[in-house]
Amino acid sequence: MNPAIGYTALISVSAITALIGFYGLRISRTTSDFYVASRTVPPWWNASAIGGEYLSAASFLGIAGLIMISGIDALWFPIGYTAGYLMLLFFVAAPLRRSGAYTIPDFAEARLESTAARHVTSVLVVVVGWFYIVPQLHGAALTIRTTTGLPAWVGAGAVVVIVCLTVITGGMRSITFVQAFQFWLKLTALAVPAVFILLQLHGGPTGSGAVPAGTDFFPAAAPAGAAGTYGTLSLMVALLFGTLGLPHVLVRFYTNPDGAAARRTTLIVLGLLSLFYLFPTIYGVVGRVFLPGLAAHGAPDATVLLLPGRLIGGLGGEILSTLVVAGAFAAFLSTTSGLVVSLAGVISQDLLGGSVRGFRIAAVAAAVVPLGVALGTDSLALAGSVGLVFAFTASTVCPLLLLGIWWRGLTDAGAVAGMLAGGVLCGASMLVGAQLAPDSPWRGILTQPAAWTVPVAFATMVAVSLATAGRQSPGVARFMSKLHVPERPHAAPGRAR
Amino acid sequence: MNDDGAPDSQPGLRRVPPPAPPAPGRVRVVAPRSQARSVAAGTSVSQEVAEQSAVGEVMVRSLIRSQLRLGLVVSAGFAAALLICWTAVRWVPDFADWRILGIPAPWLMLGVGVYPIIGASAWLYVRAATRNEDRYRDLVEGK
Repeated sequence: MNPAIGYTALISVSAITALIGFYGLRISRTTSDFYVASRTVPPWWNASAIGGEYLSAASFLGIAGLIMISGIDALWFPIGYTAGYLMLLFFVAAPLRRSGAYTIPDFAEARLESTAARHVTSVLVVVVGWFYIVPQLHGAALTIRTTTGLPAWVGAGAVVVIVCLTVITGGMRSITFVQAFQFWLKLTALAVPAVFILLQLHGGPTGSGAVPAGTDFFPAAAPAGAAGTYGTLSLMVALLFGTLGLPHVLVRFYTNPDGAAARRTTLIVLGLLSLFYLFPTIYGVVGRVFLPGLAAHGAPDATVLLLPGRLIGGLGGEILSTLVVAGAFAAFLSTTSGLVVSLAGVISQDLLGGSVRGFRIAAVAAAVVPLGVALGTDSLALAGSVGLVFAFTASTVCPLLLLGIWWRGLTDAGAVAGMLAGGVLCGASMLVGAQLAPDSPWRGILTQPAAWTVPVAFATMVAVSLATAGRQSPGVARFMSKLHVPERPHAAPGRAR
Repeated sequence: MNDDGAPDSQPGLRRVPPPAPPAPGRVRVVAPRSQARSVAAGTSVSQEVAEQSAVGEVMVRSLIRSQLRLGLVVSAGFAAALLICWTAVRWVPDFADWRILGIPAPWLMLGVGVYPIIGASAWLYVRAATRNEDRYRDLVEGK
């Protein structure tokens, strides 16, 4: 690929990001601005921003890569990524917004009236965020290596530097504008080349785009077996319940003006995600036929980057490639900056007193640690490694939120015990499972543990809470009505009664 | 409820509006019907909720229960729909062999068809949850 494509894409996306970031700087002044954009972001902006933040390397590159490897089974990933928001809408969105907390640890402290529970939650949130940033940096490394031929660390380093600069100078307000813009950039960057690819295929045999005779684009599914069934079930548990606990997603809900707006925002997010996820499938399916070598050579995640150039020659192909690479960078930048903002919020409030200066120091810490991990490890399949993070949040933060919002009986001891049980089991089984031989029957169960670690975490939380019922926080009744009672019971503007 | 400022809305009537007093809140004027009732008239229902009295507590509990039940019912329905999709794709050979415009039905189902189901579940939920809250508001306002 022409290296100019990679440079053009990276520089233009960074420049636009910085431009919007600095434009937003002028209207963010106070600590409250920095943390949650003063809670005045309208639902459409907010939904675009949530979409922009959520669609990461795993969605932009990873799904097509997985379709290259495992065919139709990979389609469960985008379904799970989207349906996770359904669970968020049903059980978390409105009450969490009404809780008035800035971060998940804030919520834990307010609900359980316990600083110990707060600290455990903080540690888990930071761990989740760090491990979610790592695949983004792997994706950036892969993209830089594929498109410019530069060493891989340049990509990861560039993303960290750009994100730190944006977050430090602008805070959350500009991040909201940047994220909303980046959602639409990502959608355009996948959709426009996809349309041209389909037209090219439909237009008949022209040069490199000729479809070999007798090609079947759609491989038959692998024969159904118990292992496959368990894998799909466990994946769906991880993705459906994992979304609830992602720190960068939750912090976005605090920027809605009220609980009803949080629900409307989620509804729009579901529409935006459903639209986006139509396109990675096209790349995966067409890529299987035209780039068969990628899966064999261990870089299936590069499918999206290479396919437009492979099928459409000349200047048009280069323009479309630039667009796709720009979209990929937007994916790494937006998810990483969203995570860095939410982690910085947690770290600075817990350790540095919640000042603006503390927030900036924390932002650098939040980005540099995963950079070290990313440089020291190799890229797995991107969608798969993000799936593991979902399994971990589903086993730790998700039970805390669900039981905290819906069950008065949850105690601080129960919450801490459940989160530790879920976190330790989930982390240990992934580590052990990765060491097993590929044909071991236990490998599938251990490397995709959500189906049993999530129930264990819930059960531990309930059992320990029942055993320590005396520790229920005294203000639980008041906090429950704050979570669930609709705001301004007398005057909903524009609603005639 | 919007009778404040009505005189200003007539066009062509060049009359300086009097300095507007702060818009008055809605005042309910009710004559006590019996001696027994007038004892309780001191606290409104919304005050009771705010103060966590027994009645307010019961109303909040019932709101929480109905919202939780709604979430569980809609998510169970969605899970059932996913199960049906999975069964059709995995275990029904006729479905797997069926092609629409050259695309196998399982790919269409999982790649496109699931998303409208997700959207419909979300829309149904938001409507019903808002209705639950409206009902609660009506109860609190004593209508």
